[in-house]
Amino acid sequence: MSSHHNSSSAASDPRQPSTANPYVPPMIAPQDLPVDYSGFIAIVFGIAGAMFRYKLSSWLAIIFCAQSLVNMKNVENDLKQISMAMMSVEKFGEIGEPNAPMMLAN
Amino acid sequence: MSKRSSSVWLAPLPSLLFLRGETLWYYLALLSVLSLLGQELTRSSVLASSDFEGFGDEADDDDLSESLQTSHLPLRSSLSPPILTQSHFESDPEPPQQSPPPSDPTPPKPSSSIPFDFWDEDEFEGLPIETPPQNPQSPENSTPPASESDPKSTTKVSPSLRSYTVEIVCVSFLIAFIFNYFTGKRENENIALSWASRFAIKDSIFEKNFSLLGTGDGKDTPLLLKEGQNVFKFYASGRRFCQGLLATMELQSRHDLISRVYNLIVPCKDEITFEVYMNEDAMDQVVFALAKKKAAKVMHKEVMDLQRYANLVSAPNNRKWVVEDLAVISESKEVAGDLISETVLDQVFGDKAFEKFGKGFISLHFSDQHVGTHRKMLLFKFALTDANHMADMTRLVALVPYYIDLIGRYKLSSQARSKTEAARSKAAQEAYKELLNARQEALQKRKADRKKMMEAEAKLSAEVIRKKEEKERSRQMKKGKPKVKMTRAH
Repeated sequence: MSSHHNSSSAASDPRQPSTANPYVPPMIAPQDLPVDYSGFIAIVFGIAGAMFRYKLSSWLAIIFCAQSLVNMKNVENDLKQISMAMMSVEKFGEIGEPNAPMMLAN
Repeated sequence: MSKRSSSVWLAPLPSLLFLRGETLWYYLALLSVLSLLGQELTRSSVLASSDFEGFGDEADDDDLSESLQTSHLPLRSSLSPPILTQSHFESDPEPPQQSPPPSDPTPPKPSSSIPFDFWDEDEFEGLPIETPPQNPQSPENSTPPASESDPKSTTKVSPSLRSYTVEIVCVSFLIAFIFNYFTGKRENENIALSWASRFAIKDSIFEKNFSLLGTGDGKDTPLLLKEGQNVFKFYASGRRFCQGLLATMELQSRHDLISRVYNLIVPCKDEITFEVYMNEDAMDQVVFALAKKKAAKVMHKEVMDLQRYANLVSAPNNRKWVVEDLAVISESKEVAGDLISETVLDQVFGDKAFEKFGKGFISLHFSDQHVGTHRKMLLFKFALTDANHMADMTRLVALVPYYIDLIGRYKLSSQARSKTEAARSKAAQEAYKELLNARQEALQKRKADRKKMMEAEAKLSAEVIRKKEEKERSRQMKKGKPKVKMTRAH
Protein backbone atom coordinates (compact mmCIF):
# COMPACT_ATOMS: atom_id res chain seq x y z
CA MET A 1 0.00 0.00 0.00
CA SER A 2 2.80 2.33 0.81
CA SER A 3 4.74 1.78 -2.39
CA HIS A 4 4.71 5.48 -3.17
CA HIS A 5 5.93 6.64 0.23
CA ASN A 6 9.54 5.53 -0.02
CA SER A 7 10.19 7.12 -3.39
CA SER A 8 13.03 9.23 -1.97
CA SER A 9 15.52 6.38 -2.16
CA ALA A 10 16.66 5.71 -5.73
CA ALA A 11 16.56 1.93 -5.35
CA SER A 12 12.82 1.70 -4.66
CA ASP A 13 11.79 4.49 -7.04
CA PRO A 14 9.12 2.95 -9.30
CA ARG A 15 9.60 5.56 -12.04
CA GLN A 16 11.29 4.54 -15.28
CA PRO A 17 11.62 7.49 -17.67
CA SER A 18 13.06 5.24 -20.39
CA THR A 19 9.80 3.27 -20.65
CA ALA A 20 7.54 6.34 -20.84
CA ASN A 21 5.24 6.31 -23.85
CA PRO A 22 3.39 9.46 -24.95
CA TYR A 23 -0.39 9.28 -25.07
CA VAL A 24 -1.84 8.10 -28.37
CA PRO A 25 -5.61 8.62 -28.60
CA PRO A 26 -7.39 5.49 -29.84
CA MET A 27 -8.74 5.66 -33.37
CA ILE A 28 -12.50 5.16 -33.25
CA ALA A 29 -14.33 4.12 -36.39
CA PRO A 30 -17.53 6.10 -37.12
CA GLN A 31 -19.66 2.96 -36.76
CA ASP A 32 -18.28 2.33 -33.26
CA LEU A 33 -19.32 5.74 -31.97
CA PRO A 34 -22.27 5.87 -29.58
CA VAL A 35 -25.60 6.71 -31.20
CA ASP A 36 -26.55 10.38 -31.07
CA TYR A 37 -30.16 9.94 -30.00
CA SER A 38 -30.87 13.63 -29.44
CA GLY A 39 -29.63 14.47 -32.95
CA PHE A 40 -31.85 11.79 -34.42
CA ILE A 41 -34.88 13.00 -32.43
CA ALA A 42 -34.12 16.55 -33.60
CA ILE A 43 -34.27 15.41 -37.23
CA VAL A 44 -37.53 13.53 -36.63
CA PHE A 45 -39.18 16.53 -34.97
CA GLY A 46 -37.78 18.91 -37.58
CA ILE A 47 -39.23 16.90 -40.45
CA ALA A 48 -42.53 16.49 -38.58
CA GLY A 49 -42.66 20.25 -38.06
CA ALA A 50 -41.98 20.84 -41.73
CA MET A 51 -44.50 18.33 -43.04
CA PHE A 52 -47.38 18.81 -40.63
CA ARG A 53 -46.76 22.50 -39.89
CA TYR A 54 -46.59 21.97 -36.12
CA LYS A 55 -44.69 24.80 -34.49
CA LEU A 56 -44.31 22.84 -31.25
CA SER A 57 -42.57 20.08 -33.18
CA SER A 58 -40.16 22.58 -34.70
CA TRP A 59 -39.37 24.07 -31.32
CA LEU A 60 -38.72 20.62 -29.88
CA ALA A 61 -36.40 19.99 -32.81
CA ILE A 62 -34.44 23.12 -31.90
CA ILE A 63 -34.23 22.03 -28.24
CA PHE A 64 -33.00 18.53 -29.10
CA CYS A 65 -30.62 20.01 -31.63
CA ALA A 66 -29.17 22.18 -28.86
CA GLN A 67 -28.83 19.10 -26.65
CA SER A 68 -27.04 17.26 -29.44
CA LEU A 69 -24.65 20.18 -29.92
CA VAL A 70 -23.96 20.38 -26.20
CA ASN A 71 -23.19 16.65 -25.89
CA MET A 72 -21.09 16.49 -29.03
CA LYS A 73 -17.74 14.75 -28.59
CA ASN A 74 -16.45 13.93 -32.04
CA VAL A 75 -17.15 17.04 -34.14
CA GLU A 76 -16.34 15.58 -37.55
CA ASN A 77 -18.68 12.62 -37.27
CA ASP A 78 -21.65 14.28 -35.60
CA LEU A 79 -21.55 17.39 -37.79
CA LYS A 80 -23.63 15.93 -40.63
CA GLN A 81 -26.53 14.86 -38.46
CA ILE A 82 -26.71 18.09 -36.50
CA SER A 83 -26.46 20.26 -39.61
CA MET A 84 -29.27 18.19 -41.13
CA ALA A 85 -31.40 18.81 -38.05
CA MET A 86 -30.57 22.52 -38.12
CA MET A 87 -31.52 22.75 -41.79
CA SER A 88 -34.80 20.93 -41.34
CA VAL A 89 -35.70 23.22 -38.44
CA GLU A 90 -34.54 26.45 -40.06
CA LYS A 91 -35.85 25.93 -43.58
CA PHE A 92 -39.17 24.25 -43.08
CA GLY A 93 -40.19 24.58 -39.44
CA GLU A 94 -43.19 26.81 -38.88
CA ILE A 95 -41.74 28.30 -35.73
CA GLY A 96 -42.85 31.88 -35.76
CA GLU A 97 -46.39 31.61 -37.04
CA PRO A 98 -48.81 32.58 -34.30
CA ASN A 99 -51.73 30.88 -36.01
CA ALA A 100 -49.94 27.65 -36.89
CA PRO A 101 -51.85 24.67 -35.48
CA MET A 102 -50.68 23.20 -32.22
CA MET A 103 -49.91 19.51 -32.02
CA LEU A 104 -52.03 19.01 -28.93
CA ALA A 105 -54.80 21.45 -29.81
CA ASN A 106 -58.35 20.20 -29.43
CA MET B 1 3.72 51.96 -44.43
CA SER B 2 0.29 52.02 -45.91
CA LYS B 3 0.81 48.64 -47.42
CA ARG B 4 1.79 47.19 -44.13
CA SER B 5 -1.19 48.61 -42.34
CA SER B 6 -3.58 47.34 -44.98
CA SER B 7 -2.13 43.85 -44.74
CA VAL B 8 -2.56 43.93 -40.99
CA TRP B 9 -6.20 44.89 -41.37
CA LEU B 10 -6.86 42.28 -44.05
CA ALA B 11 -5.07 39.49 -42.20
CA PRO B 12 -8.05 38.23 -40.14
CA LEU B 13 -10.38 38.07 -43.16
CA PRO B 14 -9.53 34.49 -44.22
CA SER B 15 -9.99 33.29 -40.66
CA LEU B 16 -13.46 34.84 -40.64
CA LEU B 17 -14.36 33.35 -44.00
CA PHE B 18 -13.22 29.83 -43.19
CA LEU B 19 -14.67 29.15 -39.77
CA ARG B 20 -14.21 25.79 -38.16
CA GLY B 21 -15.33 23.90 -35.08
CA GLU B 22 -17.21 25.59 -32.29
CA THR B 23 -16.90 29.10 -33.77
CA LEU B 24 -18.87 27.98 -36.80
CA TRP B 25 -21.61 26.65 -34.55
CA TYR B 26 -21.79 29.85 -32.54
CA TYR B 27 -22.13 31.92 -35.72
CA LEU B 28 -24.71 29.51 -37.13
CA ALA B 29 -26.76 29.64 -33.94
CA LEU B 30 -26.56 33.43 -33.88
CA LEU B 31 -27.66 33.60 -37.51
CA SER B 32 -30.62 31.28 -36.91
CA VAL B 33 -31.75 33.26 -33.86
CA LEU B 34 -31.51 36.52 -35.80
CA SER B 35 -33.47 35.06 -38.72
CA LEU B 36 -36.19 33.84 -36.37
CA LEU B 37 -36.33 37.24 -34.72
CA GLY B 38 -36.59 38.91 -38.10
CA GLN B 39 -39.43 36.62 -39.13
CA GLU B 40 -41.25 37.34 -35.89
CA LEU B 41 -40.91 41.10 -36.25
CA THR B 42 -42.08 41.15 -39.86
CA ARG B 43 -45.04 38.91 -39.11
CA SER B 44 -46.12 40.89 -36.08
CA SER B 45 -45.81 44.20 -37.91
CA VAL B 46 -47.93 42.93 -40.80
CA LEU B 47 -50.58 41.58 -38.48
CA ALA B 48 -50.63 44.60 -36.20
CA SER B 49 -50.78 47.38 -38.77
CA SER B 50 -54.23 48.33 -40.00
CA ASP B 51 -52.91 51.06 -42.27
CA PHE B 52 -53.74 49.14 -45.43
CA GLU B 53 -56.52 50.65 -47.47
CA GLY B 54 -59.81 48.96 -46.77
CA PHE B 55 -58.74 47.23 -43.56
CA GLY B 56 -60.76 47.97 -40.48
CA ASP B 57 -59.86 47.89 -36.84
CA GLU B 58 -59.87 44.45 -35.23
CA ALA B 59 -61.35 45.73 -32.01
CA ASP B 60 -64.54 46.87 -33.75
CA ASP B 61 -65.76 43.42 -34.51
CA ASP B 62 -65.18 40.87 -31.78
CA ASP B 63 -67.43 38.19 -33.21
CA LEU B 64 -65.84 38.33 -36.61
CA SER B 65 -62.31 38.21 -35.21
CA GLU B 66 -63.22 35.17 -33.12
CA SER B 67 -64.61 33.34 -36.12
CA LEU B 68 -61.54 34.14 -38.19
CA GLN B 69 -59.00 33.50 -35.46
CA THR B 70 -57.75 30.19 -36.76
CA SER B 71 -57.64 31.16 -40.43
CA HIS B 72 -54.78 33.09 -42.01
CA LEU B 73 -57.07 35.48 -43.90
CA PRO B 74 -56.91 39.19 -43.09
CA LEU B 75 -59.86 40.58 -41.19
CA ARG B 76 -62.47 42.15 -43.40
CA SER B 77 -64.17 45.42 -42.61
CA SER B 78 -67.25 45.15 -40.47
CA LEU B 79 -69.19 47.48 -42.75
CA SER B 80 -71.17 45.97 -45.56
CA PRO B 81 -69.50 46.22 -48.96
CA PRO B 82 -70.87 48.89 -51.28
CA ILE B 83 -72.79 47.84 -54.36
CA LEU B 84 -70.43 48.60 -57.17
CA THR B 85 -72.93 48.28 -60.03
CA GLN B 86 -75.62 50.94 -60.28
CA SER B 87 -78.69 50.93 -62.51
CA HIS B 88 -78.47 54.64 -63.33
CA PHE B 89 -75.81 57.32 -63.41
CA GLU B 90 -76.15 60.76 -61.92
CA SER B 91 -74.72 63.62 -63.88
CA ASP B 92 -73.95 65.61 -60.78
CA PRO B 93 -72.52 63.26 -58.20
CA GLU B 94 -72.59 64.48 -54.64
CA PRO B 95 -70.00 63.65 -52.00
CA PRO B 96 -71.12 60.84 -49.71
CA GLN B 97 -73.11 62.04 -46.75
CA GLN B 98 -71.54 61.08 -43.45
CA SER B 99 -74.18 60.16 -40.97
CA PRO B 100 -73.58 61.16 -37.37
CA PRO B 101 -72.24 58.37 -35.14
CA PRO B 102 -75.00 56.39 -33.52
CA SER B 103 -75.57 56.59 -29.81
CA ASP B 104 -75.56 52.81 -29.53
CA PRO B 105 -72.01 51.69 -28.74
CA THR B 106 -72.29 48.42 -30.67
CA PRO B 107 -71.25 48.76 -34.31
CA PRO B 108 -73.81 47.90 -36.97
CA LYS B 109 -73.72 44.32 -38.16
CA PRO B 110 -73.60 43.69 -41.89
CA SER B 111 -77.07 42.99 -43.12
CA SER B 112 -77.64 39.72 -44.81
CA SER B 113 -80.02 41.25 -47.34
CA ILE B 114 -77.27 43.01 -49.31
CA PRO B 115 -76.27 40.89 -52.28
CA PHE B 116 -72.62 39.77 -52.52
CA ASP B 117 -72.80 38.88 -56.21
CA PHE B 118 -70.56 41.67 -57.39
CA TRP B 119 -68.39 42.03 -54.30
CA ASP B 120 -64.74 41.17 -54.79
CA GLU B 121 -62.95 40.32 -51.53
CA ASP B 122 -59.57 41.23 -52.97
CA GLU B 123 -60.71 44.65 -54.12
CA PHE B 124 -59.65 47.28 -51.61
CA GLU B 125 -60.40 50.44 -53.55
CA GLY B 126 -63.48 52.49 -52.84
CA LEU B 127 -64.10 51.09 -49.38
CA PRO B 128 -65.39 53.66 -46.94
CA ILE B 129 -63.00 54.57 -44.13
CA GLU B 130 -64.51 53.32 -40.96
CA THR B 131 -64.36 55.60 -37.98
CA PRO B 132 -64.71 53.99 -34.57
CA PRO B 133 -67.81 55.27 -32.78
CA GLN B 134 -66.85 57.72 -30.09
CA ASN B 135 -69.10 57.52 -27.10
CA PRO B 136 -67.91 59.91 -24.43
CA GLN B 137 -69.35 58.79 -21.15
CA SER B 138 -70.76 61.24 -18.72
CA PRO B 139 -69.27 61.28 -15.21
CA GLU B 140 -72.55 59.90 -13.91
CA ASN B 141 -72.21 56.70 -15.96
CA SER B 142 -68.47 56.36 -15.41
CA THR B 143 -68.91 53.18 -13.38
CA PRO B 144 -71.28 50.82 -15.16
CA PRO B 145 -73.18 48.25 -13.11
CA ALA B 146 -71.88 44.70 -12.84
CA SER B 147 -74.84 43.30 -14.75
CA GLU B 148 -73.96 45.28 -17.89
CA SER B 149 -70.29 44.22 -18.05
CA ASP B 150 -69.64 41.20 -20.25
CA PRO B 151 -68.27 38.26 -18.23
CA LYS B 152 -66.40 36.94 -21.26
CA SER B 153 -64.27 40.04 -21.64
CA THR B 154 -62.75 39.73 -18.17
CA THR B 155 -61.73 36.07 -18.37
CA LYS B 156 -60.60 36.01 -21.99
CA VAL B 157 -56.82 36.17 -22.55
CA SER B 158 -55.69 38.41 -25.39
CA PRO B 159 -55.30 36.36 -28.58
CA SER B 160 -51.79 37.66 -29.25
CA LEU B 161 -50.47 36.27 -25.95
CA ARG B 162 -52.32 32.99 -26.31
CA SER B 163 -50.87 32.38 -29.76
CA TYR B 164 -47.31 32.89 -28.52
CA THR B 165 -47.42 30.59 -25.47
CA VAL B 166 -45.40 27.86 -27.21
CA GLU B 167 -42.76 30.38 -28.27
CA ILE B 168 -42.56 31.90 -24.80
CA VAL B 169 -42.19 28.49 -23.13
CA CYS B 170 -39.64 27.19 -25.64
CA VAL B 171 -37.54 30.35 -25.71
CA SER B 172 -37.47 30.52 -21.90
CA PHE B 173 -36.44 26.84 -21.83
CA LEU B 174 -33.66 27.53 -24.34
CA ILE B 175 -32.43 30.47 -22.25
CA ALA B 176 -32.42 28.23 -19.16
CA PHE B 177 -30.64 25.55 -21.21
CA ILE B 178 -27.90 27.98 -22.28
CA PHE B 179 -27.49 29.33 -18.75
CA ASN B 180 -27.30 25.78 -17.35
CA TYR B 181 -24.74 24.85 -20.01
CA PHE B 182 -22.24 27.38 -18.72
CA THR B 183 -22.87 26.73 -15.03
CA GLY B 184 -22.78 22.93 -15.44
CA LYS B 185 -19.66 23.11 -17.57
CA ARG B 186 -17.94 25.13 -14.83
CA GLU B 187 -19.04 22.64 -12.15
CA ASN B 188 -17.64 19.67 -14.07
CA GLU B 189 -14.38 21.47 -14.78
CA ASN B 190 -14.03 22.32 -11.08
CA ILE B 191 -14.45 18.65 -10.09
CA ALA B 192 -11.90 17.48 -12.67
CA LEU B 193 -9.40 20.18 -11.74
CA SER B 194 -9.76 19.54 -8.02
CA TRP B 195 -9.04 15.83 -8.63
CA ALA B 196 -5.99 16.68 -10.75
CA SER B 197 -4.70 19.20 -8.21
CA ARG B 198 -5.05 16.59 -5.47
CA PHE B 199 -3.51 13.56 -7.20
CA ALA B 200 -1.61 14.65 -10.31
CA ILE B 201 0.44 17.76 -9.46
CA LYS B 202 3.94 17.96 -7.96
CA ASP B 203 4.63 15.77 -4.90
CA SER B 204 1.34 13.94 -5.39
CA ILE B 205 0.83 10.18 -5.62
CA PHE B 206 1.01 9.95 -9.42
CA GLU B 207 3.96 12.31 -9.68
CA LYS B 208 5.88 10.02 -7.31
CA ASN B 209 4.96 6.92 -9.30
CA PHE B 210 5.09 7.96 -12.97
CA SER B 211 7.75 9.86 -14.88
CA LEU B 212 5.39 11.19 -17.58
CA LEU B 213 2.15 12.90 -16.59
CA GLY B 214 -0.38 14.37 -18.99
CA THR B 215 -1.41 13.68 -22.54
CA GLY B 216 1.46 15.56 -24.21
CA ASP B 217 5.09 14.50 -24.55
CA GLY B 218 6.58 17.80 -23.40
CA LYS B 219 7.04 19.17 -19.88
CA ASP B 220 4.49 21.99 -19.90
CA THR B 221 1.61 19.99 -21.27
CA PRO B 222 -1.91 19.96 -19.82
CA LEU B 223 -2.58 17.21 -17.30
CA LEU B 224 -6.17 16.65 -18.33
CA LEU B 225 -7.57 15.97 -21.76
CA LYS B 226 -11.13 17.21 -22.19
CA GLU B 227 -12.96 14.79 -24.45
CA GLY B 228 -16.45 16.16 -23.87
CA GLN B 229 -18.13 18.53 -21.46
CA ASN B 230 -18.42 15.69 -18.94
CA VAL B 231 -15.49 13.42 -19.91
CA PHE B 232 -11.94 14.18 -18.78
CA LYS B 233 -8.88 11.98 -19.25
CA PHE B 234 -5.59 11.81 -17.41
CA TYR B 235 -2.64 9.83 -18.72
CA ALA B 236 0.52 8.72 -16.96
CA SER B 237 3.44 6.58 -18.12
CA GLY B 238 7.01 5.63 -17.29
CA ARG B 239 6.70 3.17 -14.43
CA ARG B 240 7.91 -0.35 -13.74
CA PHE B 241 5.62 -3.28 -14.61
CA CYS B 242 3.29 -1.18 -16.76
CA GLN B 243 3.17 0.60 -20.11
CA GLY B 244 0.88 3.34 -18.89
CA LEU B 245 -2.22 4.39 -17.00
CA LEU B 246 -5.31 6.11 -18.33
CA ALA B 247 -7.79 7.63 -15.88
CA THR B 248 -11.18 8.55 -17.34
CA MET B 249 -13.52 10.78 -15.38
CA GLU B 250 -17.10 10.34 -16.50
CA LEU B 251 -19.07 13.02 -14.73
CA GLN B 252 -22.79 13.73 -14.69
CA SER B 253 -24.05 15.71 -17.68
CA ARG B 254 -24.47 18.84 -15.61
CA HIS B 255 -24.10 21.00 -18.71
CA ASP B 256 -27.21 19.46 -20.26
CA LEU B 257 -30.46 20.60 -18.66
CA ILE B 258 -32.48 17.63 -19.94
CA SER B 259 -29.93 15.15 -18.55
CA ARG B 260 -29.80 17.09 -15.30
CA VAL B 261 -33.57 16.80 -14.86
CA TYR B 262 -33.33 13.08 -15.70
CA ASN B 263 -30.56 12.65 -13.12
CA LEU B 264 -32.84 14.16 -10.47
CA ILE B 265 -35.30 11.33 -11.13
CA VAL B 266 -32.72 8.59 -11.77
CA PRO B 267 -29.63 9.57 -9.75
CA CYS B 268 -26.16 8.63 -10.97
CA LYS B 269 -22.64 9.21 -9.65
CA ASP B 270 -19.52 10.83 -11.02
CA GLU B 271 -17.13 7.98 -11.83
CA ILE B 272 -13.42 7.61 -12.40
CA THR B 273 -11.99 4.56 -14.17
CA PHE B 274 -8.28 3.70 -14.09
CA GLU B 275 -7.01 1.47 -16.88
CA VAL B 276 -3.50 0.19 -16.24
CA TYR B 277 -1.84 -1.44 -19.25
CA MET B 278 0.55 -4.04 -17.85
CA ASN B 279 3.73 -5.28 -19.54
CA GLU B 280 3.46 -8.72 -21.16
CA ASP B 281 6.17 -10.24 -18.98
CA ALA B 282 5.04 -8.49 -15.78
CA MET B 283 1.60 -10.04 -15.32
CA ASP B 284 0.97 -13.71 -14.69
CA GLN B 285 -2.22 -15.61 -15.54
CA VAL B 286 -4.61 -13.79 -13.23
CA VAL B 287 -8.36 -13.26 -13.50
CA PHE B 288 -9.76 -11.49 -10.46
CA ALA B 289 -12.60 -9.09 -9.66
CA LEU B 290 -13.95 -7.42 -6.55
CA ALA B 291 -17.22 -5.49 -6.44
CA LYS B 292 -20.40 -4.96 -4.46
CA LYS B 293 -22.56 -8.08 -4.46
CA LYS B 294 -25.17 -7.00 -7.00
CA ALA B 295 -22.57 -5.53 -9.34
CA ALA B 296 -20.40 -8.65 -8.96
CA LYS B 297 -23.24 -10.90 -10.14
CA VAL B 298 -23.83 -8.66 -13.15
CA MET B 299 -20.10 -8.60 -13.94
CA HIS B 300 -19.87 -12.38 -13.69
CA LYS B 301 -22.69 -12.74 -16.21
CA GLU B 302 -21.66 -10.03 -18.66
CA VAL B 303 -17.85 -9.78 -18.62
CA MET B 304 -16.43 -12.40 -20.97
CA ASP B 305 -13.23 -13.37 -19.14
CA LEU B 306 -14.93 -13.59 -15.73
CA GLN B 307 -17.70 -15.69 -17.24
CA ARG B 308 -15.21 -18.06 -18.86
CA TYR B 309 -12.48 -18.45 -16.25
CA ALA B 310 -13.64 -17.20 -12.84
CA ASN B 311 -16.16 -18.08 -10.14
CA LEU B 312 -17.53 -16.42 -7.01
CA VAL B 313 -15.21 -17.11 -4.08
CA SER B 314 -16.67 -17.66 -0.62
CA ALA B 315 -15.01 -16.18 2.46
CA PRO B 316 -12.38 -18.43 4.11
CA ASN B 317 -12.84 -19.34 7.78
CA ASN B 318 -9.27 -19.07 9.02
CA ARG B 319 -8.49 -15.46 8.05
CA LYS B 320 -9.81 -11.90 7.75
CA TRP B 321 -11.80 -11.17 4.62
CA VAL B 322 -13.51 -8.31 2.82
CA VAL B 323 -16.70 -6.65 4.08
CA GLU B 324 -19.96 -8.55 3.63
CA ASP B 325 -21.15 -5.96 1.10
CA LEU B 326 -18.40 -7.01 -1.32
CA ALA B 327 -18.11 -10.17 -3.41
CA VAL B 328 -14.91 -11.70 -4.81
CA ILE B 329 -14.75 -13.33 -8.25
CA SER B 330 -11.54 -15.21 -8.95
CA GLU B 331 -10.03 -18.03 -10.98
CA SER B 332 -8.82 -19.74 -7.82
CA LYS B 333 -8.98 -19.27 -4.05
CA GLU B 334 -5.21 -18.99 -3.97
CA VAL B 335 -5.20 -15.95 -6.26
CA ALA B 336 -8.01 -14.32 -4.27
CA GLY B 337 -6.18 -14.89 -0.98
CA ASP B 338 -2.92 -13.48 -2.33
CA LEU B 339 -4.45 -10.38 -3.87
CA ILE B 340 -6.61 -9.51 -0.87
CA SER B 341 -3.71 -8.96 1.48
CA GLU B 342 -3.70 -7.82 5.10
CA THR B 343 -2.56 -4.34 4.04
CA VAL B 344 -5.52 -3.88 1.70
CA LEU B 345 -7.96 -5.10 4.34
CA ASP B 346 -6.56 -2.70 6.93
CA GLN B 347 -6.48 0.26 4.58
CA VAL B 348 -9.72 -0.06 2.59
CA PHE B 349 -11.64 -3.35 2.42
CA GLY B 350 -11.76 -4.33 6.09
CA ASP B 351 -14.89 -3.95 8.22
CA LYS B 352 -13.78 -0.75 9.94
CA ALA B 353 -11.88 0.85 7.06
CA PHE B 354 -14.58 0.33 4.44
CA GLU B 355 -17.10 2.48 6.31
CA LYS B 356 -14.69 5.42 6.33
CA PHE B 357 -12.66 5.09 3.16
CA GLY B 358 -14.54 2.68 0.93
CA LYS B 359 -17.62 4.77 0.23
CA GLY B 360 -16.52 5.58 -3.29
CA PHE B 361 -15.44 2.06 -4.22
CA ILE B 362 -17.25 0.47 -7.17
CA SER B 363 -15.10 -2.35 -8.56
CA LEU B 364 -11.69 -3.85 -9.35
CA HIS B 365 -11.08 -6.11 -12.34
CA PHE B 366 -7.67 -7.61 -13.12
CA SER B 367 -7.28 -9.89 -16.10
CA ASP B 368 -4.75 -11.20 -18.59
CA GLN B 369 -7.58 -12.10 -20.96
CA HIS B 370 -9.15 -8.71 -21.66
CA VAL B 371 -10.87 -8.25 -24.98
CA GLY B 372 -9.22 -5.46 -26.98
CA THR B 373 -5.81 -4.15 -27.93
CA HIS B 374 -4.33 -4.60 -24.45
CA ARG B 375 -4.80 -8.14 -23.16
CA LYS B 376 -3.23 -7.66 -19.72
CA MET B 377 -4.99 -4.91 -17.88
CA LEU B 378 -6.01 -3.72 -14.42
CA LEU B 379 -9.31 -1.85 -14.12
CA PHE B 380 -10.25 0.25 -11.09
CA LYS B 381 -13.62 1.95 -10.83
CA PHE B 382 -14.36 4.50 -8.11
CA ALA B 383 -17.07 7.07 -7.48
CA LEU B 384 -15.78 10.65 -7.38
CA THR B 385 -16.55 12.82 -4.41
CA ASP B 386 -17.42 16.50 -4.76
CA ALA B 387 -14.69 19.09 -5.36
CA ASN B 388 -14.34 20.01 -1.68
CA HIS B 389 -13.87 16.45 -0.39
CA MET B 390 -11.30 14.97 -2.77
CA ALA B 391 -9.08 13.95 0.16
CA ASP B 392 -11.58 11.18 0.97
CA MET B 393 -10.43 9.35 -2.16
CA THR B 394 -6.75 9.19 -1.20
CA ARG B 395 -6.75 5.58 -0.01
CA LEU B 396 -8.76 4.37 -2.99
CA VAL B 397 -6.37 6.04 -5.43
CA ALA B 398 -3.42 4.58 -3.50
CA LEU B 399 -4.72 1.11 -4.44
CA VAL B 400 -3.64 1.72 -8.04
CA PRO B 401 0.17 1.83 -7.57
CA TYR B 402 -0.08 -0.79 -4.82
CA TYR B 403 -1.76 -3.33 -7.11
CA ILE B 404 0.55 -2.52 -10.03
CA ASP B 405 3.50 -3.57 -7.87
CA LEU B 406 1.69 -6.52 -6.31
CA ILE B 407 0.60 -8.02 -9.63
CA GLY B 408 3.91 -7.15 -11.29
CA ARG B 409 5.75 -9.24 -8.70
CA TYR B 410 3.11 -11.93 -8.29
CA LYS B 411 3.85 -15.48 -9.47
CA LEU B 412 1.38 -18.35 -9.40
CA SER B 413 2.19 -21.66 -7.72
CA SER B 414 2.71 -24.72 -9.94
CA GLN B 415 -0.71 -26.17 -9.03
CA ALA B 416 -2.58 -22.95 -9.77
CA ARG B 417 -0.59 -22.48 -12.98
CA SER B 418 -1.49 -25.94 -14.27
CA LYS B 419 -5.17 -25.22 -13.59
CA THR B 420 -5.09 -21.85 -15.33
CA GLU B 421 -3.19 -23.23 -18.32
CA ALA B 422 -5.70 -26.05 -18.67
CA ALA B 423 -8.56 -23.56 -18.56
CA ARG B 424 -6.90 -21.35 -21.16
CA SER B 425 -6.15 -24.23 -23.53
CA LYS B 426 -9.75 -25.40 -23.18
CA ALA B 427 -10.98 -21.89 -23.95
CA ALA B 428 -8.68 -21.70 -26.98
CA GLN B 429 -10.05 -25.03 -28.26
CA GLU B 430 -13.61 -23.80 -27.82
CA ALA B 431 -12.81 -20.62 -29.69
CA TYR B 432 -11.24 -22.65 -32.51
CA LYS B 433 -14.31 -24.91 -32.67
CA GLU B 434 -16.58 -21.88 -32.84
CA LEU B 435 -14.51 -20.53 -35.71
CA LEU B 436 -14.74 -23.85 -37.56
CA ASN B 437 -18.49 -24.00 -36.99
CA ALA B 438 -18.88 -20.50 -38.35
CA ARG B 439 -16.90 -21.44 -41.46
CA GLN B 440 -18.94 -24.59 -41.98
CA GLU B 441 -22.17 -22.64 -41.64
CA ALA B 442 -20.95 -20.17 -44.24
CA LEU B 443 -20.08 -23.03 -46.62
CA GLN B 444 -23.47 -24.65 -46.08
CA LYS B 445 -25.20 -21.38 -46.85
CA ARG B 446 -23.26 -21.06 -50.08
CA LYS B 447 -24.18 -24.62 -51.05
CA ALA B 448 -27.84 -23.98 -50.27
CA ASP B 449 -27.77 -20.84 -52.42
CA ARG B 450 -26.23 -22.78 -55.31
CA LYS B 451 -28.88 -25.49 -54.99
CA LYS B 452 -31.61 -22.89 -55.10
CA MET B 453 -30.08 -21.39 -58.22
CA MET B 454 -29.91 -24.82 -59.86
CA GLU B 455 -33.53 -25.54 -58.98
CA ALA B 456 -34.60 -22.21 -60.38
CA GLU B 457 -32.79 -22.96 -63.62
CA ALA B 458 -34.38 -26.42 -63.79
CA LYS B 459 -37.80 -24.88 -63.40
CA LEU B 460 -37.32 -22.84 -66.55
CA SER B 461 -39.52 -24.13 -69.32
CA ALA B 462 -38.20 -26.22 -72.19
CA GLU B 463 -38.81 -23.39 -74.64
CA VAL B 464 -36.56 -21.02 -72.76
CA ILE B 465 -33.84 -23.68 -72.67
CA ARG B 466 -34.29 -24.29 -76.42
CA LYS B 467 -33.99 -20.57 -77.09
CA LYS B 468 -30.83 -20.43 -75.02
CA GLU B 469 -29.38 -23.37 -76.94
CA GLU B 470 -30.23 -21.73 -80.26
CA LYS B 471 -28.54 -18.54 -79.21
CA GLU B 472 -25.43 -20.41 -78.15
CA ARG B 473 -25.43 -22.37 -81.43
CA SER B 474 -25.70 -19.19 -83.48
CA ARG B 475 -22.91 -17.63 -81.46
CA GLN B 476 -20.69 -20.66 -82.09
CA MET B 477 -21.56 -20.57 -85.79
CA LYS B 478 -20.50 -16.96 -85.95
CA LYS B 479 -17.27 -17.83 -84.21
CA GLY B 480 -16.67 -20.72 -86.62
CA LYS B 481 -17.05 -18.57 -89.77
CA PRO B 482 -13.80 -17.40 -91.36
CA LYS B 483 -13.11 -13.77 -90.72
CA VAL B 484 -12.82 -11.74 -93.92
CA LYS B 485 -10.94 -8.51 -93.74
CA MET B 486 -12.31 -5.73 -95.90
CA THR B 487 -9.77 -3.26 -97.21
CA ARG B 488 -10.65 -0.20 -99.19
CA ALA B 489 -8.59 0.38 -102.29
CA HIS B 490 -7.12 3.82 -102.58
